[in-house]
Amino acid sequence: MPEIFLKNVSKHYGKVVAVDRLNLQILSNAFLTLLGPSGCGKTTILRMIAGLETPTEGQITIGNKVVFDADQGINLPPNKRDVGFLFQNYALWPHMTVYQNIAFGLENLKWEKDEIRDKVKALLKMLRIEPYENRYPSELSGGQQQRVAIARTLAPGPKVLFMDEPLSNLDSKLRMEMRAELKRLHRDTDSTIVYVTHDQQEAMTLSTMVCVIDKGRLQQYAPPLPMYNNPANVFVADFLGNPAMNFIDGHLTEAGELTFGGLRARFEPFNAVTLGERDVIVGIRPEHIRIGAEGPLEGTVYSTLPSGMETTVKMNVNDISLTSVVFGDVDFPVDRKVRFSFNKAAVLFDKESGKALARGTLTMME
Amino acid sequence: MRRILSLMLSLAILLCAVPALADVAADVEAGQSMTHDELVEKALAETGTFVVYGNTSRIETAAEEFGALYDIPFEPNNLKDQEIYEKLRYVTGNDAADMVMIQDGAQLTDAIDEGLVLNFVPGSVADALDESDQQPALVHQYINKLFIYNNLGDNVPAIHNVWELTAPEMKGRVIFKNPENEKVNMNFLVMCTKDEWADKLAEAYREWKGEEINLGEYQNAGYKWVAEFLDNVTFGKSDTSIAEEVSQETAAGTIGLFVLSKLRSSSVLTDNLTVAAYDATANGYAVEPFAGFMYPMYTMVNTNATRPYTAMLFIEYLMTEEGFKPWGKNIGAYSPNPAFAVNDGDLTIDVWKDALVVEDADYILESFDVEDFVLQHCQN
Amino acid sequence: MEEVKARNVALSRMKGRTLAWFTKPANIILLVFLVALVVLTLYPLVSLLTETVTVHAGRETRAAHEAAGARTLYHFERLFATRENDYSRIQFYEPFVNTLTVSLAASLIAIVFGGTVAFLEMRTNLRYIKFVSAVFTFPYIMPSWTLALFWENFFKNVNIGLKTSNGIMAAVFGVYMPEWFVYGAFPIALVLGLHYAPYAFILIGTMLRNMDASLEEAATILRTGRFRIIRRITLPVVRPAIMSTFLLVFASSMSAYSVPVFLGSPVRYYMLSTKMKSLIDSYPGQAYIIAAVMILMGMVILLLNQRVTGSRRQYTTVSGKSHQIKRIDLGRARTPLTILLVIVLLLVAVAPLITFALESVIVKAGDYTPSNMTLDFWIDTDLTKRLDQGDSTGILLNPKVWNALGYSLGLALLSAFIAGTCGILVGYGVSKRRGSKLANAVNAMAFFPYLMPSLAFGAIYLAMSSKIPWLRGFPLLVLVGSVKYLPFASRSGLNAMLQLSGEIEEAAVITGVPWWKRMLKVIFPIQKAGFLSGYLVPMVSCMRELSLFVLLVPTSNAILTTMLMQYSEKGWAQFGNAINLLIIIVVLLVNFIVNKLTGASIDKGVGG
Repeated sequence: MPEIFLKNVSKHYGKVVAVDRLNLQILSNAFLTLLGPSGCGKTTILRMIAGLETPTEGQITIGNKVVFDADQGINLPPNKRDVGFLFQNYALWPHMTVYQNIAFGLENLKWEKDEIRDKVKALLKMLRIEPYENRYPSELSGGQQQRVAIARTLAPGPKVLFMDEPLSNLDSKLRMEMRAELKRLHRDTDSTIVYVTHDQQEAMTLSTMVCVIDKGRLQQYAPPLPMYNNPANVFVADFLGNPAMNFIDGHLTEAGELTFGGLRARFEPFNAVTLGERDVIVGIRPEHIRIGAEGPLEGTVYSTLPSGMETTVKMNVNDISLTSVVFGDVDFPVDRKVRFSFNKAAVLFDKESGKALARGTLTMME
Repeated sequence: MRRILSLMLSLAILLCAVPALADVAADVEAGQSMTHDELVEKALAETGTFVVYGNTSRIETAAEEFGALYDIPFEPNNLKDQEIYEKLRYVTGNDAADMVMIQDGAQLTDAIDEGLVLNFVPGSVADALDESDQQPALVHQYINKLFIYNNLGDNVPAIHNVWELTAPEMKGRVIFKNPENEKVNMNFLVMCTKDEWADKLAEAYREWKGEEINLGEYQNAGYKWVAEFLDNVTFGKSDTSIAEEVSQETAAGTIGLFVLSKLRSSSVLTDNLTVAAYDATANGYAVEPFAGFMYPMYTMVNTNATRPYTAMLFIEYLMTEEGFKPWGKNIGAYSPNPAFAVNDGDLTIDVWKDALVVEDADYILESFDVEDFVLQHCQN
Repeated sequence: MEEVKARNVALSRMKGRTLAWFTKPANIILLVFLVALVVLTLYPLVSLLTETVTVHAGRETRAAHEAAGARTLYHFERLFATRENDYSRIQFYEPFVNTLTVSLAASLIAIVFGGTVAFLEMRTNLRYIKFVSAVFTFPYIMPSWTLALFWENFFKNVNIGLKTSNGIMAAVFGVYMPEWFVYGAFPIALVLGLHYAPYAFILIGTMLRNMDASLEEAATILRTGRFRIIRRITLPVVRPAIMSTFLLVFASSMSAYSVPVFLGSPVRYYMLSTKMKSLIDSYPGQAYIIAAVMILMGMVILLLNQRVTGSRRQYTTVSGKSHQIKRIDLGRARTPLTILLVIVLLLVAVAPLITFALESVIVKAGDYTPSNMTLDFWIDTDLTKRLDQGDSTGILLNPKVWNALGYSLGLALLSAFIAGTCGILVGYGVSKRRGSKLANAVNAMAFFPYLMPSLAFGAIYLAMSSKIPWLRGFPLLVLVGSVKYLPFASRSGLNAMLQLSGEIEEAAVITGVPWWKRMLKVIFPIQKAGFLSGYLVPMVSCMRELSLFVLLVPTSNAILTTMLMQYSEKGWAQFGNAINLLIIIVVLLVNFIVNKLTGASIDKGVGG
């Protein structure tokens, strides 16, 4: 199984820089997610690795093979890269039946007729779409079309699978179902998957590694949970997690005294770092704000969003607004005063650069 | 990619290759002094299809008979003047015409100067024709456009004088082809302003009104007549459709100026039409100062001809009584050769030459600004 | 050492980039077409512009007092700034204003009429929809002047125009139409508008067909009135199609020649096209200036068009999702509207056919009694009793007619094949490299022949061909036909490609399907209908084209339209009408066969 290396890969469209000097190492058998808002360049990265797009600069290696090198003038076409690509809109050929859609690529690879039939049948079975073998794509539901597209991608047995927001066209129930399928598929096929999405939840739940991209630049590259807990900057912190992290402007003194939103607290970093006096942004995850009968602080409930499993509470504290998550089927009347406390960790970001400074605990001061 | 490049390269080479022209002028020069038999011999030695352009449809009949006579394959093309000139300018090689039959003496004079066509006068007719019908271009026939009116109802415009057509009550009742669309019509109107015709028009005016003409802003009587005539005219599409329209039962009171030979067309209700000139002759008077106009049709050899001797042989054939027959068998076409008999009921070429305005290429060419005046009066 | 290394890197980088560039078929296609179109469309334009500053042999040398071939501004001065005898006003300014008026009005008529019918067909429960959309293309198939001729013959009367005869309206129904209705700007614009209304029908119809009905439904839910929905929702959505129609109809109307001659001449109404034709003979310099002005007008509209539609234009992609079309219930208006539409269509599309048939069997013009009718002009073996010379057999027995039919059909089919195929390739290249300078240049040049008046286009190709010995006759006609109708093909090719999501092709690229196979096995079959209309429209246009070919045909009997013109010149109206009918029948037949075999048809159109 190959490793994929991207070395200083850039892509320019005229004056617009879509991808800026990207370095990335994708390990064998990884399920890597390229995550970012739309237009951030993640799809371009995927297409460059697949060979559908030509980088302006840099080098790309798949396995031991250099598939692209701007300096050496190397550029292998997609079919020589031994990859599969699953498109956002399925890209099924509407004039071919399900069978023909899957078989077309194999015929082109000069497979024997019997081999093709066996392979297609196996895939149809694996993806549970056997009854639709002779139907045309327009006669299938969205989920079924997606399965056909997956089967078609898997047919030639590529070592690397690229997926470009493959679930974005499905309704939420189907999407949940297909996520599980994809994760299983990753295990069953033993392949390396590079997956593009703008859905942070998809990234969190599916991948072994997440790569957050913004404006063509790599923001953070880490496994999902560590990234969730240790975001590298405000952007990553904000992008991951739903509901999103609370950000409050604050000031830190030399002595480690933190003032934010009319509150005063002492910040104690987990690791020994010198922070100095500076303007900061305090980042607190909603689940780390505990609402209860007791607590050192008081806020007014602005609105609540109970979902059964959990309830998102928006409350006003002094002149700031905080979001909290309470687990279980609880609800709070609007405009009622509640007590709360900061629990566990908060993250301090440098106000100027947005970079994470330290993780630590907040102890409220009177 | 390489194939495309080589294709483009060969295209470029071909672009530069221009075929060498045979010296047709020398052939025509030589042909001038050949006997009929010598011409035949030379013509039969030429190969390929003999190509003819003409703006008369009957050239097809003539070419057919000529082809049968000498067993020469031919391709007659009936085109409009302007297409003929355009093609003479640009078509070379086997598709180029060998011989053309064309009208509009003014433009032909230019074409001769430009070297597009060559004049060939067969020895057989040199003595029979007026010098003016041989040089600078050989006239094959004259065609006349006459005042012809609808003879139904009680408002018949049986004109004795062309000034009658300028009267207010004739407004919209005179039908003519737009001089912009056919140059011989323009030539006729331009000719009216020539002193010779202007004087005659002034004289005719005196006869009509019984008083001297008051020219006002006009340079001479010709200009005045043209302006006032055009003010009354409605433009028809073609001579054929004008003939058809004027002959309708519903067209009482209208008069047209169109090609006499159109009366042969089966779609024209000939009984309803009277030719002013015939009526005048029959009743012993003349339409003053003209009963219409007449213009020559010329035969020329193309400078780019690939079969010049066949062209010359064909011209020689066309100048014979036999060769003239496709036109001569009906009224409205007149050989410059006075020896040829005219159809029953028609007038001879000499009579027509007196009764009609005949174009004078030199005058037309030097008075090209008169055309602007005509155009101005073709406007509302 | 370092320097050498840097240079080597730079070299191999360049090599790599060039290689990558050339591995994309779209780039090669665009490059090849760029070169070809420079030769085939830019060169003619440049030579046309050169002609406007050159003294031509003949009358121009005399008027300009300069030798033939000299460079001069005389033509411009003469055409634009001659007060004497109102020359400039008569030859240029008035025809210019008339051309603007007529072309604008024709575009409006085409858009309103074609758009309304398209709306009724696509979005309402109108009856006889199939009949309507089939018959609606008839006026486009017919040469435009035949409709003009029909209009005149139908409405003329003794009170107007030549004042010599009554058409059917006056003779049969006793209705005498006023002059403005029969001659001049109004009927010219109307006839051209009706002739080109199928453009509107096709372009707007495709847009409406692809329009997401939920847009309208959303408005319905907001209790918006039906008329308001059309005005506020439907119209803006189809605006790009309306603009395209405007451009196409305007440019075509502007260069129409026969219609203004037939319907304008009797009331002395002139347009630039008629002036160009009368000038091209004696004063080609001025004629080419008029042609250049017409091209300029077309370009202005093209730019306006791009400004209005711009990049906001949305394209539907073929992605397997389909949306429901909800038809508006016309309610009580359904039957009356259907009847009205059918009557109008019968009048403009079917009645002319009937009159052609009638006129081809009557002997004396204007007499429609059975005793005046005969089939001789179609099938008699000896017509000498009716005609004094020339062709003496009915057209169906005349080998010349069959030869011309074969030649015309061959020309139309081959030109259509070349134009259509090139159109697909251009569409492919442009859509793949959309927005790049190369693609924009090729796209613009491929549209350019549309703006060139046919007559000038033919004249320039004739002049070009005189320098290339082998380029004459049939190959020249095919070349001209292909280039002139490439705009239709490239438009429909581009539209079809833009509707196709790029992923569809990439899905095949990934498995290494070679380019030609992707085109043949994937792209073409999916967008078959759109692509085939790129073949059909040039085919139809070629079959009925006259002024483009008139100077280029090797012999005047070569194609049906020049033959038709010859017959009307000779005054053999019966033959002319019979041939006209023949052309229409052949085109309908080809359209029918293509439709039956592939499901594509002209009314599916120039694409969205």
